Amino acid sequence: MMLQIKDLKVSFGKAEILRGINLGLEIGDSISIVGESGAGKTTLGLSIMGLVKGSHSGEVRFRGKDLLTIPEEDLRGLRGKEIAMVFQNVEDALDPVQRAQDQVAEAIRIHQRIGAKGAEAAAKKILMSVGLKGDKARAYPHQLSGGERQRVIIAMALANDPALLILDEPTASLDALTKADILRLFRSVIVGRISLVITHDIALASALTEQMAVLYAGEIVEMGRTDEMLREPRHPYTRGLIRSYPGMTTTKDLQSIPGRMVHGLRGCPFHERCTQRIEICQREMPPLREIGGRQVACHRGGIVPLLDVRDLCKSFDSCDVLRDINLTLYEGETLALVGESGSGKSTLSKLIMGLYEPDSGDVVLEQQKVLKRDISFYSRVQMIFQNPKESVSHRMNVLDAVLEPLVVQKKGTREERLIRAKEVLDHVELPSDDEFLQRYPHQLSGGEVQRVAIARALALGPKLLIADEPTSALDPSVQAKILKLLMGLQDKMGLAMLFVTHDISLARKVSDRMAVMHKGRIVETGATNEVLSNPEHPYTRKLVQCASGEPEKMDDRKMPDREISKATENIEINLGEGIRCRESNF
Amino acid sequence: MNDKRASCRSLLLNYIIALAFIIAMNFILPRLMPGDPLHAIYGDEALVAMTPELEKSLIKEFALDRSWIEQLQAYIIGLLQGDLGFSYYYKEQVTSVIMGALPWTMLLIVLALVMATALGIILGIESGYRRGRPQDHLMVAGLMFLSGFPMFFMGILLLLIFGVSLGWAPLSGAVTPYAGLEGIDYFMDVLSHLILPVTALVLVLVGETFLITRNTVVSLLEEPFILTARGKGCSELAVKYAHVGRNSLLPVVTKTGMSIPLLLVQTIFIEIVFSYPGVGLLLTSALDARDYPLIQGILLLITVLVLTINFLVDILYKRLDPRVRYAH
Repeated sequence: MMLQIKDLKVSFGKAEILRGINLGLEIGDSISIVGESGAGKTTLGLSIMGLVKGSHSGEVRFRGKDLLTIPEEDLRGLRGKEIAMVFQNVEDALDPVQRAQDQVAEAIRIHQRIGAKGAEAAAKKILMSVGLKGDKARAYPHQLSGGERQRVIIAMALANDPALLILDEPTASLDALTKADILRLFRSVIVGRISLVITHDIALASALTEQMAVLYAGEIVEMGRTDEMLREPRHPYTRGLIRSYPGMTTTKDLQSIPGRMVHGLRGCPFHERCTQRIEICQREMPPLREIGGRQVACHRGGIVPLLDVRDLCKSFDSCDVLRDINLTLYEGETLALVGESGSGKSTLSKLIMGLYEPDSGDVVLEQQKVLKRDISFYSRVQMIFQNPKESVSHRMNVLDAVLEPLVVQKKGTREERLIRAKEVLDHVELPSDDEFLQRYPHQLSGGEVQRVAIARALALGPKLLIADEPTSALDPSVQAKILKLLMGLQDKMGLAMLFVTHDISLARKVSDRMAVMHKGRIVETGATNEVLSNPEHPYTRKLVQCASGEPEKMDDRKMPDREISKATENIEINLGEGIRCRESNF
Repeated sequence: MNDKRASCRSLLLNYIIALAFIIAMNFILPRLMPGDPLHAIYGDEALVAMTPELEKSLIKEFALDRSWIEQLQAYIIGLLQGDLGFSYYYKEQVTSVIMGALPWTMLLIVLALVMATALGIILGIESGYRRGRPQDHLMVAGLMFLSGFPMFFMGILLLLIFGVSLGWAPLSGAVTPYAGLEGIDYFMDVLSHLILPVTALVLVLVGETFLITRNTVVSLLEEPFILTARGKGCSELAVKYAHVGRNSLLPVVTKTGMSIPLLLVQTIFIEIVFSYPGVGLLLTSALDARDYPLIQGILLLITVLVLTINFLVDILYKRLDPRVRYAH
């Protein structure tokens, strides 16, 4: 390995900024280090440069030499020559009182036996090659634009053709157009070197690097191929980062990661903010393990699949309502189940809840086959229904409605139940004073009743919420409020949601993944933005077209050459037809 | 490049306006005083000793018997010819009296200024670079202590210790009188007379430059471009002087420019303490003798001197900081 980092630890005083980083890179490798500010990304870059001020241990081997122990003199010889860094902060990274070319020439003269004239000529040549033309080379930093300054900084880093190039937030302060230019430049300059891109910009990481390492509180929590990690993050923190990043393809509302980063925690550094933590997370630091071609540091092996539906079939009389349904729902994500009325969505959700018995197939909850629906099942899975006024008994007041699941499941004493009821009412942003608790559903607005229904579902502290058209009976403004509430609860509790709806535009805003149902089958699943921007199944395409208000295009179009899963190939498209029954039984 | 020249020209214009104003004040003030201008210019005592012939020639010289435009004309022509009037105390032209003292003052000021600034910058950089370490604390405390001394007191202290007690340096004057020294001996003689007054000036002056440099260095070390310099592989010396040092000069130059008038006043004290035959000593004896033409001449000279030095500082600042060149 050209660059081998072993168990690198850096601390400033008592604060441990890096807690054991391991990384190995060869020429031609490109890796991005992503994470929130303060995760230790820049410190990692500076430690490789030998410029970090804190105390450190471990090894940073470059061409076999340990950069942490070789004398400063030797390190200076490598710095700027073999290892170069483009520092963040385009505004102030250049000496304000020296000409651009002089600063580049200085970098050359430090490492090469070359006269002042020669160095100046070489500097001009390099500046030219990074796109700084004409008189600009003689300009002072304040006479250059942000993009031009960035070019000077890049020229300085490239001056001695380094083998290892570290880019620290290289485009953070540039506008979109300049950024695109600089990005193009970076793509050409990182070829044939090791490049390490430190950034919080996920789009930049995916554009520049093949590998990606997610750094959290000084530890790498996930590492793997950039494209795979972005498509399918395994660590909850990686998913949180991607969810909070406003990409052009994001359709779901931005979600933040609850809490804030704390350095030096015992156990897994992320456990305080993690919604799937278990007891061991607070005690032990999970090692970075290879899981399915990816390195993940998580005691639970990454984001856990909460619900697995396997080959589920159901028929009523002779009608096949559900055929071979396979679904996986991960912790903390929203899966939208979309399809027209009668496609079997509600049946599926009722089957999962145990309101119907399946003909064949299994429902697996947290890796355990569900055999009976007991208290442990219902305290993990809860449901909210379409029409709140009907789903909340009109004979019960708010308090009774919210208390009911606790009473049925015989949880806690009376006082504890009351406390819990007030707590969940607080979660759904309803008042919990006595006057409100005594109200009956008919005294409440539609939105309030739905909140009560949600509070009731939350009372047992479920991990999975099945929401069957939870907002279709509400007006748009109340609907928006309820959806925001549900997403907020998801952030806070890591609630997984199976969001059943026929409204594909609504599903687009709330779901991470989408499963399209048609005639009792799931015809397409995938990340919501991919399914919608690139629908593969003709039925999905029709749904999208209808939702975008393009009914004139609804006639069957020729399918472009694209592979669709074999199971769905023969399905006839016939909007509004519903489920076909076997004729022989009539 | 045109911009640069234009901004220089406008700067020069500013200084010319200031100079014109000062000269005008010098011309108008004696003429605004009650009584006749000659009286105001030369004072009571001088007039007592004045013969009618002298008075007549003076009136003619100042063109006091003609219109004020002609008077101004005569005054400016006189100035251009280097004529600042006649010192009745020294019985000599004011210009030649001042010219006898000016070189000594210039020697003192320039030496002290260069040494104090250079020393202040170097110590400031080294101290700021070692911020928080014992050497830094020592330097800050020591130089603060020294700059707390009033100038005349420092002069007297040095004079007592090194001149009177130890006898290492001459007590007064700029050269040993009537020694008839030449060449290298003369040079050494001048130098030995300079040591104490220059040291006194430097010791008191160095603190301010030191502090400004040190503070600038401390904040500069946090600047990203210093990290860039280190990242290039610059040696510590290059980081310290080529990058940090160069940038820390800017506030020092500004400060030095502003403290020139104060330095002149300090020099007057030092000249008195060491009986150094410079303009300061000349000014005090002129004040004693109420030799108004001489006093006026010296004041005019000092203002011109201050203006010139400020002008040079402005030019220097533009050379040091490219950002200022376009700021006008």
